Amino acid sequence: MLGRLRALVGLAVARVIGRVRIAPQRVLLSLLGVALAIGLMVAVSGVSLGLASESVIESEGVDYWVVPEQSNVESIAVSAGGLQLGDVHATSVELQQDSRVDYATPVLLELVPVQDRVTGERTYVLTAGVVPAEGTTVLGLPASELEPGDPYYGNGSYNGTWTGEVILNDAAASVTNVSAGESLSLVDETNRTLNVMNVSTGGSGTAGGTVPVMVMHLAELQSLTGATNGDTADQLLVSTNDRSVRSSLEGRYAGTTVVTRSGISAQQVSSSNLPLAVAVAAFVSAVVVGVLFVTTLMGLEVSADRQQLGALAAIGYSSRSLSTVVAAETVVISVLGGVCGIGVGILGIFGANTLAGRLFGLDSIAIFQPVLAGYAVVVAFVIGLLGAIYPVWVSRRSDVVEVLS
Amino acid sequence: MSDSAGEVPSTSETDAIVEGDALVREYSRGGSGGVFGSTDAPTVRAIDDVSVAIERNEVVGIAGPSGSGKSTLLHLLAGLDIPTDGHLTIDGTDIATLSTRQRGALRLETVGIVFQRFHLLDSLSARANVALPLLEAGHAKGPRRERAEELLSAVGLPDRVGHKPGQLSGGEQQRVAIARALATDPALVVADEPTGELDSESGDRVLDLLVNAADDRAVILASHDQQALDVCDRVIQLRDGQVVGGQ
Repeated sequence: MLGRLRALVGLAVARVIGRVRIAPQRVLLSLLGVALAIGLMVAVSGVSLGLASESVIESEGVDYWVVPEQSNVESIAVSAGGLQLGDVHATSVELQQDSRVDYATPVLLELVPVQDRVTGERTYVLTAGVVPAEGTTVLGLPASELEPGDPYYGNGSYNGTWTGEVILNDAAASVTNVSAGESLSLVDETNRTLNVMNVSTGGSGTAGGTVPVMVMHLAELQSLTGATNGDTADQLLVSTNDRSVRSSLEGRYAGTTVVTRSGISAQQVSSSNLPLAVAVAAFVSAVVVGVLFVTTLMGLEVSADRQQLGALAAIGYSSRSLSTVVAAETVVISVLGGVCGIGVGILGIFGANTLAGRLFGLDSIAIFQPVLAGYAVVVAFVIGLLGAIYPVWVSRRSDVVEVLS
Repeated sequence: MSDSAGEVPSTSETDAIVEGDALVREYSRGGSGGVFGSTDAPTVRAIDDVSVAIERNEVVGIAGPSGSGKSTLLHLLAGLDIPTDGHLTIDGTDIATLSTRQRGALRLETVGIVFQRFHLLDSLSARANVALPLLEAGHAKGPRRERAEELLSAVGLPDRVGHKPGQLSGGEQQRVAIARALATDPALVVADEPTGELDSESGDRVLDLLVNAADDRAVILASHDQQALDVCDRVIQLRDGQVVGGQ
């Protein structure tokens, strides 16, 4: 039984090869249709796989954010009064000791009232308190231009040297009418002044071109906002080129979770089941498009081939044998299309990543894993089976005498 | 037979390989009813009260002008079609008792068919074409190849076993078709205009092979070609579906 099935499949393969040699148009069109459908599916599945596995974080120079577990991702950009981390100076020192870490700093985000230098009116500036080190960039502002370390912290006594150093973005400088080298007055009972070290245009990670933002030393911000008790901050920023740091960070601090700046959207997507929905949509589209291609073209192929099938029926081939041959031919063509589709899909993934890199600065939004190749072949097989129904029906309704007359 | 569901029940023992009694084959003109067809469409009687008996070692010709019913009678005698009326046995089996599948199995085992246009599969070698009936009959690959090569040698094509039909002349293709018809060693070979597409020299060779095939079986040959009819032991003359001479 198995030997006969193998022989019939062999006959089908030989007929397909013969057709490719003699009249390849319809076979190649079927193959192309499946290849495109499968290629699209592989590419889209690669994107959803990338989103699901947060492949977007797999780029060099990534920043990890350790945030309270129950805070949402938006708190990375703006946090006011949400859950906070404690004892953050000690923690950041501990993190700095890891040789893989470029720098680590707590980040406290607060809205700070300041005085317009010209009108004297009160205005609010989103302020990030950090412990600057070489290369530290927060909210797109070069915090490394602040005096390194956190002099006012004084090992937790908050009586060290007050620097008053701040770096503003354009929007903050504009709303407060200050420039680099000038002072900025706080609107509080301390009546302290801040020294504007620089006005930066900000980078891609800035909190927004129209949002007034400034960066200052963490301890000074803590003292201004009453966050010295418990040494709290909203999150810890860890900058590294080593992706293995993430696994070190995860679970290291109870009640925290680790995300990346570029992974923010990915995390949102992951939690919304979008990757699965995208993958299912790609699967359904591939099957529908593939089956339509294969059914139409193989139906025409079988119609054109009725005389040969009629001759086989006249010889004594049963309907079941002929159906097996036709179905096997359809599946063979579909699977060949699927194999070509893997190549198309890889090209699609490459193209998507290139496009994402150019448009959004992301290194990788889609990934190809070997399992996708197996998946593509299985789906192509399913397309072949479903697509064979009509050609088999066409072959079975042929009347031998009519065909041979 | 490898497929028990397709086995042919043998109902009688007779000297004749093919025996038809008062055969009638009618076709309805304008469809068989249904949504668009008329249920009382007029019928055409393609074969009208024809009785034949063809025995082993006989080469019987069927002659007649176009539309006389040659092909229809040949299709009936080959088991490709069933009579509307009358009684037909092939190798002792009553055709009317068989399902479509069983008729297929009967043809595979008992009837070898040679077509005017050869109907070889273009993508297969001569050997694979000859082996096609053996594949359906469930023979293993080795014996299939062996038998196909033996038959191709018998029809004078031992050096063409690996050639595709497109690489063979018309005469050679028809010889491959004859080898295919003989693959399961059938009791009956039917040939429909076997020389119709061949030159006279190739036609002679094909006819020789068919006559030789009748050594241990019956051969029925439908043809317009007098050269073909001349090699027959007897000829059934048809006109308007009825036997008008010969026998």
